[in-house]
Amino acid sequence: MKSKTVICRCEDVTLEEIEELMEKGYTSMDEIKRITRCGMGQCQGRTCRTLLLAELAKAVKTHPAEIKITTFRPPAKNIKMSVILGGIDNEQNG
Amino acid sequence: MLATNGIPTAEELAPRIPPAERLKKGPVAIIECFQKIPCNPCSTACKTGAIEKFEDINDLPSVDLEKCTGCGLCISKCPGLAIFVVDETYSEMEAAVSLPFEFLPLPAEGEEVDVLDRSGKTVGRGKVIRVRNGKYEDRTPVVTVAVPKELSMVVRNIRVGGDRR
Amino acid sequence: MKHAEIAVIGGGPAGLMAALAAAEMGAKVTLVDRNSRLGGQLVKQTHKFFGSEKEYASIRGIDIGRILATEVHKNPNIETMLNSTVVAYYPDDGVLGIEVEEKKWVKMKAERIVVATGASEKYLLFENNDLPGIYGAGAVQTLMNEHGVVPGKNVLMVGAGNIGLIVSYQLMQAGVNVKAIIDAAPSIGGYWVHASKVARLGVPILTSYTVKAAYPNEMTGALERAVIWRVDDRWQPVPGTEKVFNVDVMCIAVGLSPLAELLWQAGCKMMYVPELGGHVPVRNDNMETTVSGIYVAGDVAGVEEASSAMMEGRLAGLSAAKSLGYDDGTYEEKKAEALKELENLRSGPVGGKIRKGLAQLAS
Ligand SMILES: Cc1cc2nc3c(=O)[nH]c(=O)nc-3n(C[C@H](O)[C@H](O)[C@H](O)COP(=O)(O)OP(=O)(O)OC[C@H]3O[C@@H](n4cnc5c(N)ncnc54)[C@H](O)[C@@H]3O)c2cc1C
Ligand code: SF4
Ligand code: SF4
Repeated sequence: MKSKTVICRCEDVTLEEIEELMEKGYTSMDEIKRITRCGMGQCQGRTCRTLLLAELAKAVKTHPAEIKITTFRPPAKNIKMSVILGGIDNEQNG
Repeated sequence: MLATNGIPTAEELAPRIPPAERLKKGPVAIIECFQKIPCNPCSTACKTGAIEKFEDINDLPSVDLEKCTGCGLCISKCPGLAIFVVDETYSEMEAAVSLPFEFLPLPAEGEEVDVLDRSGKTVGRGKVIRVRNGKYEDRTPVVTVAVPKELSMVVRNIRVGGDRR
Repeated sequence: MKHAEIAVIGGGPAGLMAALAAAEMGAKVTLVDRNSRLGGQLVKQTHKFFGSEKEYASIRGIDIGRILATEVHKNPNIETMLNSTVVAYYPDDGVLGIEVEEKKWVKMKAERIVVATGASEKYLLFENNDLPGIYGAGAVQTLMNEHGVVPGKNVLMVGAGNIGLIVSYQLMQAGVNVKAIIDAAPSIGGYWVHASKVARLGVPILTSYTVKAAYPNEMTGALERAVIWRVDDRWQPVPGTEKVFNVDVMCIAVGLSPLAELLWQAGCKMMYVPELGGHVPVRNDNMETTVSGIYVAGDVAGVEEASSAMMEGRLAGLSAAKSLGYDDGTYEEKKAEALKELENLRSGPVGGKIRKGLAQLAS
């Protein structure tokens, strides 16, 4: 088994991939998220966000407070489309 | 050292060990709580006023050695499991150490157990004299074990039924 | 659309106290939690808690949770929605989107919102950090204390804060062998009394050590070996200082970060304060965020303790109710009491970090 260091467990993104991107000059959270899907999986970035933040801050030699956080859009968790689509019915039933 | 491995050094412990004259008079509480944390149940548990009331919840507990009767009611109330009662008058050769013990199986009264120091090292054998495990203790049983007198300030844990590690 | 006077999101110590305080003032509260029972982190805490009588000191966390939940369930002003996750806040109309039992979608408009969602566990980067057998401390606690399942036989605990120490103690109580507790910091972060508890069981605590790598069993692919190494005073690993542990479980307890997604969605001003666990909401002393009508309490407002979470919850609940006009004349006094209690809890040396963080937030 090849060894790896996983940063985003939902989308299986490794530290090595992130480091490669940072070397190529991608140093914003948004860019990295779009390319790798880091933070877009089931948990919506709960685990990897802080890790990525620290790695980016290290790479561009700045304080984590200076790194721009990706936008948070509802829903904060993956939910089945049918749950939302069935919503009005559900409300009437319940 | 407490800050690096959780084990107090002799110097850290020294201020908590009652003088020999007091130990000769009977059981007394020894509170091994060395850090100012927001916590005070020991002081509210003691009914004789031996643990001075805290002005600030972060105060360190201190025992009034004259007022303390060694009743042990404070032991199970301390969430830090940091209070022990030592009775050096138990018998000629032995001291009785009362300690909190939240493990199963509980020893039976009269049972012989391994006695351990503050680092979990076995330092000898002791005989269980008493197990208090009522509603008051609320699942923090208090075990009193008789140990050789020279171990009264060493023994702080027991192991029932041999080494499982 | 459902309507609520005050919606409290999260039924941990902070949310429970917020709901009770608001109800005590006369407001109608809807308390929403994603779990099937109330209590939050308390449900897993089998040890006796610190604090004073006001925060139920010397009572086990699980029992504190039960006491508060019982109060909530019998309070006629509080409605509870369990198995309900608030996944959305739409800032345009202030509506909450709630997923109920993973199959229903309920929209709720609340006049005031108290966000008390707690925190999530931080993780650690090292080689093979995704092997089966590597868990967060919270997951191990849930497994053991809620489901009665032990995670394995031999454990390496990573993190000597209160959580790492307490979970180690609970593992030993469950008959699991904790081989060592390691921490990259030069000294133990948790309370010394907790450290002494595990030391007395024979568990060594190694400070200034971090994880180098984890290795799998060739057959099963699950964790078999963990390698740690020392870090110097600039947190750099020192080659040649490696130690090997044959363990089937590694438990990560390196801290928590606020679970603040809903606050971000709502556009609350957030600030990065490492002392408080990461990005936390800016708020006033009523615990109201920069978005009027949204209050916060507990770990989501800064990772701390259940004792302070309860007092913040009380403060948020009282203030939210007061802002809706519920005040029988006792508000100022009750608020002052809660503020005083918070100050007391944080006044000692171990509260220094929190005080520093809060000062930064206020600046
Ligand atoms: C091992 C361990 C030991 C501890 N020991 C102590 C101790 O001895 N003394 C002490 O004072 N503190 C202790 N703590 C800390 C204490 O448990 C926490 O500080 C406290 O629980 C924080 O309370 P809270 O209400 O903010 O969050 P939580 O208790 O985490 O509760 C948050 C609740 O919100 C719910 N929730 C989250 N998001 C949503 C959503 N979107 N929709 C609906 N519901 C949601 C969760 O299900 C949860 O029930 C310990 C913690 C741990 C992990
Ligand atoms: S042993 Fe009894 S008298 Fe002594 S401090 Fe404890 S409760 Fe008070
Ligand atoms: S109750 Fe125990 S941990 Fe708390 S202050 Fe007293 S001795 Fe220390």
